[in-house]
Amino acid sequence: MQEAAVIENPLRAGIRLERTAEPCTVIIFGASGDLTKRKLVPALYRLMQERLLPAEFAIIGLARTEMNSDEFRKAMREAIEEFSETKRVDEDVWNSFAQGLYYLTADINNPSDYDKLSDLLNQVDRERGTQGNHLFYLSVAPKFYGEAVKQLGEHNLAKPKENTWVRVIVEKPFGTDLDSARALNNELHQYLDESQIYRIDHYLGKETVQNLLVFRFANGIFEPLWNRQYIDHVQLTNAEMVGVEGRGGYYETAGVVRDMIQNHVFQVLSLVAMEPPVSLESEPVRDEKIKAMCAAREFTAERVRAECVRGQYGPGSIAGKPVPGYRQETDVAPDSATETFAALKMYFDNWRWAGVPFYLRSGKRLPKRVTEIAIQFKEAPLPLFGEAMQQMTPNQLIIRIQPDEGITLRFAAKVPGQVTNIRDVNMDFRYGASFGIQLAEAYERLLLDCILGDSTLYARKDMTERGWELVMPILNEWAATKDKVDFPNYEAGTWGPKASHDLIERDGRRWRRP
Amino acid sequence: MQTQQSTVSTTKGIDVGKIEKELAAMWKPADETRDSQADSGVTRACTMNLLVYSSVVEDRAGIDEMLDTVCEQHPGRMLVLRTDREASEPKLDAYVSTRCRVFGANAKQVCGEQVTIEAAGPIIETVSSAIAPLLVPDVPVFLWWKDIPHYEDKLFNHMTEMSDRIVIDSSCFDHPHEDMQRLAEVIRERGQLMSASDLNWGRLTAWRTLMASFWDVPDYRQHLEKIDSVTVEYDPPDVAPDQIAPKALLAVGWLASRLGWSVEGKGEGEEDGTIFKLKTNGRVINVLMRATRREGNIDGMLVSLTLSARDSGAEFRVAFSKDRKKLETEASIGGAHSVGRVLSYEQKTEGQRLSRELSLLQRDVIYEEALLSAVQLIAAL
Repeated sequence: MQEAAVIENPLRAGIRLERTAEPCTVIIFGASGDLTKRKLVPALYRLMQERLLPAEFAIIGLARTEMNSDEFRKAMREAIEEFSETKRVDEDVWNSFAQGLYYLTADINNPSDYDKLSDLLNQVDRERGTQGNHLFYLSVAPKFYGEAVKQLGEHNLAKPKENTWVRVIVEKPFGTDLDSARALNNELHQYLDESQIYRIDHYLGKETVQNLLVFRFANGIFEPLWNRQYIDHVQLTNAEMVGVEGRGGYYETAGVVRDMIQNHVFQVLSLVAMEPPVSLESEPVRDEKIKAMCAAREFTAERVRAECVRGQYGPGSIAGKPVPGYRQETDVAPDSATETFAALKMYFDNWRWAGVPFYLRSGKRLPKRVTEIAIQFKEAPLPLFGEAMQQMTPNQLIIRIQPDEGITLRFAAKVPGQVTNIRDVNMDFRYGASFGIQLAEAYERLLLDCILGDSTLYARKDMTERGWELVMPILNEWAATKDKVDFPNYEAGTWGPKASHDLIERDGRRWRRP
Repeated sequence: MQTQQSTVSTTKGIDVGKIEKELAAMWKPADETRDSQADSGVTRACTMNLLVYSSVVEDRAGIDEMLDTVCEQHPGRMLVLRTDREASEPKLDAYVSTRCRVFGANAKQVCGEQVTIEAAGPIIETVSSAIAPLLVPDVPVFLWWKDIPHYEDKLFNHMTEMSDRIVIDSSCFDHPHEDMQRLAEVIRERGQLMSASDLNWGRLTAWRTLMASFWDVPDYRQHLEKIDSVTVEYDPPDVAPDQIAPKALLAVGWLASRLGWSVEGKGEGEEDGTIFKLKTNGRVINVLMRATRREGNIDGMLVSLTLSARDSGAEFRVAFSKDRKKLETEASIGGAHSVGRVLSYEQKTEGQRLSRELSLLQRDVIYEEALLSAVQLIAAL
């Protein structure tokens, strides 16, 4: 990861908390929304508690809801008590934090409200010593991103003044297709440099995703094996047990390819497929990620038909409890053709990966909540142990991203006894068991990185557009043939439609059971 | 935390093979559980060897509690040596046990193992030879010396030689000034051969972090070059109330070593406390170290740390709240601008502090330099 942008400070050397941030104000657009309550303010509160934020820090909440700063403080205190890990709020500590909380009732589309915001920012900079550094967090519906940035630009809030910085975090979804993503990028770039834009993907804030870089490039033993010579194929599973959770209206316009694959899954995939970066600073890492994704083979209509599978869950049961099918969910059309499951076979046409299939699957209402990468190595070249080897599976390296973060290496061992029997055994590394520490929430890590000016874990413009480029043929082909789908085609609580198993089994392989 | 225990007879010295066998036998039921219940078995984890030296007079339950906490974060092999140096009759007993905790939603048990050796009399000097073969290979070796270090003692020297890092606690020194001087000497003499952790230094981390964070703010940086006064308030150590608490000395030692202040000698003044005169680039810094006795005092703990620059009227202060449960910070420049905050001061348990030290493998150069500066202060007394 990029070295923290910590100002040179002779007392900072050797301090066991080596990353602290410069003074700044975080301005949250959509401050009355769920994300602010559940994630953003609890994450900032915890960062403050961890002494990773300076005293010269403030938060301005901005939303249409009529509220004053005191009411906002009260709401945020309740949110921290409900959603933060600690649950308990110390009166003095809270009061100290709350002094830096402000609220402004504002309409994103109303230019005069930005004048008020500008005045408030000046006031906060004076009162809190926040030095004119501003982080705008757009936690609003995507249709407002462009307008918010335009207004910031027109009110001289987007360009940093001397020795200050302005950054903008944009939540997902980043566009709904390639054209809209490009249009949005263009809108943002009218007022912001790329270096100011932080497109958040909370998957990248997860410890195991970050560990992928360490695992691959800090260990000498794995990287030599990480190529077509030794790897047979790669499986990436991103399974959710939940359904659409009341978001049927949104999901109808999205589907799993837009919602998960083109962003989260491709981000993780790029970390598996990328070449070693020249350094761990933000740009070299992101250069290698996009380079890998540019080598991903394009989907043609023919490939979509042969190597992409879509599915939609019907009624079934999850954890012993009956659940309705997707079409029975609220705000979902009874004849909906939206996919809740997708499986793809991908190839990277480069020297490292030529001919190695990457099987991806992502879906809702699957039997288990799990995100993992399974690297399956090739079989030993000679079956020296004859029949004893029949009950073996090839070596696998499994990187679990959630839950129960860790890494497992599966290899063969002799069963003790007079005859040579071979069994697969697992060598397990579990984050919790080895380090016994509570992993930080993804939002804490990502917010702190943004405040520190480290964009390694954020998506760059080219990466978001490349994600869309890759999935557009799939979305187009599926849209063109939506009348032909036979949905629902998998029962809730199962591992997706039969076609997804056929996809891999006709290559002589099987999906791993996570 | 669950423990399981088995005694190994040691009438003819410590039988390392037998201890290993006993340990293997203790794992067997755990391994069987693993086979029969795929999702709720036992994970045997080993991230380090921890050698613990204590005398029999130390509170055994207290040490066990600390080791429980340590095992949660650093499961591994613990080799606990309990000694009775006063005994005339030689005695050598060993027993093995496992420490398990339930981890995660799938109710996995994560277990470490412990070998306890009780030794008395002259045999203590040779007991390190029984410990060496019991070390798990390839993982680091930490030595927690839960006593005042016996620098001239054979056992201490053997055990430090086989360790990557030694953990001590300078707050337990019964002659704080002399013991700190001796510790600094030993660290200087042994150089790369001994890296040390001081639990007392760990207790300063929150203070150092908050003090350092003032100068992450560019506007405040200029004042750091103008600091001419430091005031440290501390609770005196219970064992030697007339001596300056090691923590206070380490705090000033840290400032001096980081900011390039050299100790000129003892200063003079009206104040109730000890004044030191430090110097850098012709600038004199007066350091006042003052013992306080406030309600709810904590043995040898810092109470406040204030840096001021008279010229610019700047003052930077970190202090305990009255209830000693929070830390308050305040920066004021010419009385005009003042930003403060209140943060929880997590009163960590000793086990948590020890765990923290076990996360660090490299030499702590910042600590060593702070200690050397602290010793210069002592020498000036």
